[in-house]
Amino acid sequence: MSSPLAPATPGSRSVRRLLSPGLLFALPFLVLFAVFMLWPLGQGLWMSLTDTSLSAHTPDFIGLDNFSEAVRDAEMWRALGHTVWFTALSTVPLVAVALGMALLVHTGLPGQWVWRLAFFAPYLLPVGVVGLLWIWLYQPDLGLYNHLLDGVGLGRVAWLSDPSVAMSAIVLTTLWWTVGFNFLLYLAALQSVPDHLYEAAAIDGAGAWRRLWSITLPQLGRITTVVTVLQILASLKVFDQVYLLTKGGPDNSTRPVVEYVYDVGFTGYRLGYASAISYVFFALVVLASAAQYAALRRREK
Amino acid sequence: MTVTPEPVGRPGPTRRRALTGALAAGAAVLGAGALSGCGSALAADDRTVRLWDLFSGADGGLLNDMVRRAGPDMPGTRIERTVLEWGTPYYTKLAMASAGGRGPDVAVSHMSRLAGYAPTGLLDPWDLDLLAEYGVRPGDFADAVWSRTRFEGATYAVPLDTHPFIVFYHPEPAARAGLLTGDGVLDTEAFGSPDSFLAAGRELAKASGRQGIAFGYVTDTAQCWRLFYGLYRQTGGTFRLPEGGPAEVDADRMTEVIAFMTKLVDGRVNPRRLDYAAAIAAFANRQTAMILSGEWELGTFRAADPKVGAAPFPTVFGTPAVYADSHAFVLPRRPHPDAGHRRRTHRAVAALLKAGQIWATAGHIPAYRPVTATAAYAKLRPQADYARAQSSVVLDPAVWFAGAGSDFQNAMCQVLQQALLGDLAPDRAARAMVRRLDTFLSKPSPA
Repeated sequence: MSSPLAPATPGSRSVRRLLSPGLLFALPFLVLFAVFMLWPLGQGLWMSLTDTSLSAHTPDFIGLDNFSEAVRDAEMWRALGHTVWFTALSTVPLVAVALGMALLVHTGLPGQWVWRLAFFAPYLLPVGVVGLLWIWLYQPDLGLYNHLLDGVGLGRVAWLSDPSVAMSAIVLTTLWWTVGFNFLLYLAALQSVPDHLYEAAAIDGAGAWRRLWSITLPQLGRITTVVTVLQILASLKVFDQVYLLTKGGPDNSTRPVVEYVYDVGFTGYRLGYASAISYVFFALVVLASAAQYAALRRREK
Repeated sequence: MTVTPEPVGRPGPTRRRALTGALAAGAAVLGAGALSGCGSALAADDRTVRLWDLFSGADGGLLNDMVRRAGPDMPGTRIERTVLEWGTPYYTKLAMASAGGRGPDVAVSHMSRLAGYAPTGLLDPWDLDLLAEYGVRPGDFADAVWSRTRFEGATYAVPLDTHPFIVFYHPEPAARAGLLTGDGVLDTEAFGSPDSFLAAGRELAKASGRQGIAFGYVTDTAQCWRLFYGLYRQTGGTFRLPEGGPAEVDADRMTEVIAFMTKLVDGRVNPRRLDYAAAIAAFANRQTAMILSGEWELGTFRAADPKVGAAPFPTVFGTPAVYADSHAFVLPRRPHPDAGHRRRTHRAVAALLKAGQIWATAGHIPAYRPVTATAAYAKLRPQADYARAQSSVVLDPAVWFAGAGSDFQNAMCQVLQQALLGDLAPDRAARAMVRRLDTFLSKPSPA
């Protein structure tokens, strides 16, 4: 056994150079990242080129057949359309309402902590709880919303079973559930707007609205970009609340592409084809992100 | 190496040592977790037969009673149940466990799903000699059911029951409408054609003072298909689904059946847009005198009306056919099955079948005929009244994508529902169904 104080040999020094402290610190993460991200990514890509199914047979390599089937699969495009539609419907209110709530709290409503807690608390709930809660709220006969609508004489709404309403109902649930996170980001950004800007504006005689339009909102431009990008990515991933509330129904009118992948792979047993669809989706998300990035770059210049 | 005593001046904990320790501990936890995760699924003592099933609620309680009753029949063997939630995910779990060779010793599956399981190698065949040794022979089951258990010359399922789609009725209004025979059972002849079926509905509505026949289907993923497919097979029309397609079906007869279904839910004589739960409530509250329903709702109906009657689904289109499915025992694949344990499993299943009288109280028709032939079974009413449905049951088409809880049933129901709600003409609905069938057929089978 060598004492820890013994002079390092040249060999161990080169090892140490290779394993720089930074790398060592990152190592636990890198190992997990490789095992749980990179390896499944590669495995999935391989599977998408085979006819792997949930069976006891060994899969065959079938080249790009799965991909050519996918681009001709009307149901996949429909599911992709639902995902995009959900993203469009949900991103705008999730950013706008978060901003509105943050401004309200920041301008000094009495009892600030109550508001902060109330706005952020739903975000802490697991999706299972959110799903159960809202299924009851949306119940056609016993639910709170139809009870209220009945009370004011507006008639009942088939929240989750009417194809033209179901997606909006899911967006509403998502808004309530996740707006707290964006709200928090906005609140933090609001608190870092320098006070001297407001002081200078006040000296120049700017009113509250003027200060909001000319100082607060421009100062929030950067965080708005961040919030929007994060929100779009989060909305594109939509699956859990849809699965819990409608299982993609009625008539698959709310089924997002991620659920389609699940249905094809785990209830249709076609894992290879499901992988191919998920890579088609992946490619589209990468394209969208690249476009977003390019647009931002141009604007910053 | 000699063992040296602990050095006195042991260096205190350093940051590096603490980190190394934490990492090692973390790795140990991860590793141990992964290993035990693999081991636990297989760890069971030798005399335990592990059963996966989908029976919760009242059915689950009855299965527990059956396991107790079967006990003396299988000395030295213990059945350990794992109840999983019924629905599409049940088959996902069963398939994944079987694909990995780590499934339970025996599982309950719907017979209609067998075509998607046996050819994919997810199941092992039953040993008929072994079953015969414990008193269970092919002749003990109805042909219509037993024929579905076979694949490539081997038997992959042992049926526990048949659960047909039948009619329930309240005896008083049915009697007032003159629809009961002398022995007080439903006169199914009076429902023997589309027109007389609808006329009988009008009589029932008059007799009940409210409405005639309830059928719950809105947003349901199976009900429309159950009614449609049973009726379609009564027309004698072909329904062949060759691999790769196209489907060989009779679109005219499909149109005829859909048109009849549409007239049935007319909104005047019979309620129009009921979902599953609403239909049950309508019948239980005597809003209607009759309901088209699976027999598994018997318990619910009997709680509302102890005298509730039941009959096999009437033959409306000429050829007797009753839509049904069947719960069956299957053997999930094992790469290296233990012969002794397999024998124990066969014995346990045989013992359960013989305790089938308990199962019949729920309404299911026990598939093992020595049970239904007993005097005790004949006394069960209304179960004995519809037991003859078993001889003319039709199950889902034997293709890999069909069966209980499948996307296929859901896809068919979506089209049928549109037609029943009046948004789609019957002939266009039939064509839409054929198109969807062709799409399913064009997909490669996972086998």
